[in-house]
Amino acid sequence: MSSPFGRGIGNVNSTRDLALSRSPVHSVDARAKWVVTLALAVTVTSFGKYDISRVMPLFLYPFVLTALSGLPVQAVAKRSAAALPFILLVGVFNPLIDREPMAGLGPVVLSGGWVSFISILVRSTLIVSSVVLLAMTTRPDNLFAALESLGVPSALVVQLQFMNRYIDLLAGEAERTLRAHSLRSPGKGGGIPVLVSGPMLGGLLLRTMDRGSRIHRAMVSRGFDGAVRTARPSPFSPRRDGLFVCAWLAYFALARFVDLPGALLGVIGG
Amino acid sequence: MRGPYIDVRELEYSYPDGTPALRGVSFGVGQGEAVGLVGANGAGKSTLLLALTGLIEPFSGVIDIGGTVLSKGMVREIRRRLGLIFQDPEDQLFMPTVFDDVAFGPINQGVTGEALAARVASALDSVGAGHLADRPGYRLSGGEKRSAAIAAVLSMDPEILLMDEPSSGLDPKSRRALIDLLAGFPHTRLIAAHDLDLVLDVCPRTIVLHRGEVAADGPTVEIFRDKVLLERCSLEPPLSLQGPTAGAGRWIT
Repeated sequence: MSSPFGRGIGNVNSTRDLALSRSPVHSVDARAKWVVTLALAVTVTSFGKYDISRVMPLFLYPFVLTALSGLPVQAVAKRSAAALPFILLVGVFNPLIDREPMAGLGPVVLSGGWVSFISILVRSTLIVSSVVLLAMTTRPDNLFAALESLGVPSALVVQLQFMNRYIDLLAGEAERTLRAHSLRSPGKGGGIPVLVSGPMLGGLLLRTMDRGSRIHRAMVSRGFDGAVRTARPSPFSPRRDGLFVCAWLAYFALARFVDLPGALLGVIGG
Repeated sequence: MRGPYIDVRELEYSYPDGTPALRGVSFGVGQGEAVGLVGANGAGKSTLLLALTGLIEPFSGVIDIGGTVLSKGMVREIRRRLGLIFQDPEDQLFMPTVFDDVAFGPINQGVTGEALAARVASALDSVGAGHLADRPGYRLSGGEKRSAAIAAVLSMDPEILLMDEPSSGLDPKSRRALIDLLAGFPHTRLIAAHDLDLVLDVCPRTIVLHRGEVAADGPTVEIFRDKVLLERCSLEPPLSLQGPTAGAGRWIT
């Protein structure tokens, strides 16, 4: 049976595999996708804390990207769900703090806290799924090169690149350590005693650092000077990428300043 | 008379905890020569290769590569001439695809566009790995990873190849293919290996390291027939020199 770390490595690697595939969304310039994703995040966070219905039209972005990229919906949902515990943690106390009745769903009356909690859940899911789609439809090197060309300091971009590279090294070392422990502690149910976990974590960190330094040496011996350059820079196409950015920014502006669900209900209700 | 292409004189290095790793190592390697570097675990083979590439410091002594003495100011120039192939090919494959990994060195040398694509294609073809270009490194078999790692170094057009345990983790067929490949390279080669049969097939000359010192330096066949020397250095003669009964097992019928 694979451990959470083993599944973690599988997820990281399969996300990279998916990012290397081809589709109309994959071929959009990474800078264009970054700009649209950031614009979506700004738009979503600009809504009031009790807004839920006004945010819903923005889900069109992840839906369209998933459909056009040919990515399995389940894969996107699974990776987005990884952030769910953190999102829940952020909003879980809202219902306890804000108890003012605010909305009714039939006989059920929702307090302001519950409405804001659901709003946090909806908005975070929207942003996380968009970021996940960004990672799943963009080659990692282009993703980081785009950040640098958008003005993010080079030192920060290199840090992110190393983090991306080393996260699976850490997970791989953890997987091997846990396997070695479970093989030598039969019948213990897989739990790690506190006394053992300290040295185990220390050893894990040291081995990961050791591996990291070997990779760094391999990079330095091949001329690495602090900047990771990409072999396949993607030129910005005004027609394809410009249209992608303009169309989505226009839609986000529309969704922000016009109550689309209200207008839709008005049309349906005559 | 021209001196050796790799000239190492009185090289000393200690690990950060003070344990001596290299003690007065001196040797020379001629241009185009293939030299084996053998020794027990901890003898200093990998450390020596790292020192030659300027990846560990501080050390004392002199490392001269083609007339350029290794120093802080010349380390980039020295690395341009050397191609170091690591023991674990996974350490060398850190980019999204094999193409990107093989292109990593040439891009840092300023090669771009069609010249870059040609350099990558040529390096991959020379190790028979052209079909792997678009595959991610972590999806390759052990032999394919080794080929990709060698291509990643060849693409930098090095004059000298330094290899650390090139056959480790390879199945017999991949190992044989690697031996044929290494034997055919025109580069100056320094190959650190526990696989003494590989050294026998590829390197006419061998240096034996023992506890950080050069214990012997001479023709490979003579060194591998010196049982006393090998015993003292915790080595065994390669299987192909152990006589007709070496490695013979009983057939189960």
